[in-house]
Amino acid sequence: MFQGFVEWLEQSPASQFLSDTTGFWTWLIIPMSQCVHIISIGMLLICVGILNFRLLGLGSGRRSFAQLASALMPWIWTCLIVLFLTGAVQTVAEPGRELLNIGFKVKMLLLLTVVAITVFYERSVRNDPQYWEHSPERRRMGRLLASVSLILWVGVAASGRLIAYLDMRHEL
Amino acid sequence: MDTILNILNWIDNSAFANAVRDSFWVFPSIETVHVVAMVIVLGSITRLDMRLMGLIWHDRPVSEVSEEMLPWTWTSFVIAAVFGFMLWASKPITYLGIAFFDMKMLLIILAGLNMLVFQFGIYRSVGAWDCDPVPPTGVRLAGAVSMACWLCVVVCGRLIGFV
Repeated sequence: MFQGFVEWLEQSPASQFLSDTTGFWTWLIIPMSQCVHIISIGMLLICVGILNFRLLGLGSGRRSFAQLASALMPWIWTCLIVLFLTGAVQTVAEPGRELLNIGFKVKMLLLLTVVAITVFYERSVRNDPQYWEHSPERRRMGRLLASVSLILWVGVAASGRLIAYLDMRHEL
Repeated sequence: MDTILNILNWIDNSAFANAVRDSFWVFPSIETVHVVAMVIVLGSITRLDMRLMGLIWHDRPVSEVSEEMLPWTWTSFVIAAVFGFMLWASKPITYLGIAFFDMKMLLIILAGLNMLVFQFGIYRSVGAWDCDPVPPTGVRLAGAVSMACWLCVVVCGRLIGFV
């Protein structure tokens, strides 16, 4: 499905520049963008971990879900932007490695789903800080969503790591 | 030196190492657990380090941030260490020749020492600066050293895969 786009992207000057590993500096771009990517994943996972654990009723409970959300959401979105930019650098450098990769496709699917849940979290407490406390049913739904979110976030990180092992370009 | 090499060779030839090398999926699976745990170590510890440096959450006591973060740090550190040991034990001879691996181990030891000095030194007087938006110089320094160490651990860890 992406074959034509991948070929076009591979021929682009940006891709040629980023994938040129013979230059003194350019060979560093990919490892360094991966390092920034990994560090951002760490910052992101601790934020979503704390937020979802609060919804599960774990942790200290000192701060409400709404308080945690307002403290952590700016970090979550900032990390996601950094992750998108560094991820884009890696994708432009090696389009076939990413876009044709089953690991990458699974990762994007999981990511879109969990980002949708996170947007819902943010909106839920913006107008009503007590949103998740109103009824036992609401609390149950919160615990369910939090469990799903945590599994999805770990799945995003895991499938991201596995992209390197699912690179099928050499076997095509 | 010979004794160490003999031990490494013995690990290298063990049933565990062979089993990991013979399967396409075992190494990546162990590595995935290691990496996910490792990033949570990094994310939680840098959050505390930033509070120690006075960069974030000025309205929250240092001890509160520490209580919130350290369970995440320790739990994931144990997981990362166990799975990291398994990765190493699957090819100890290979890692012997990788300088980034040695650097990573040294940096983890350095981060540990920094934490011990902090915990048994200036942190004993935490009551005096717990609520300071910007803690005293010694505390900020400990936070900066810790953060620098862990960021370099990640960079070295990533570079192990490139050499």
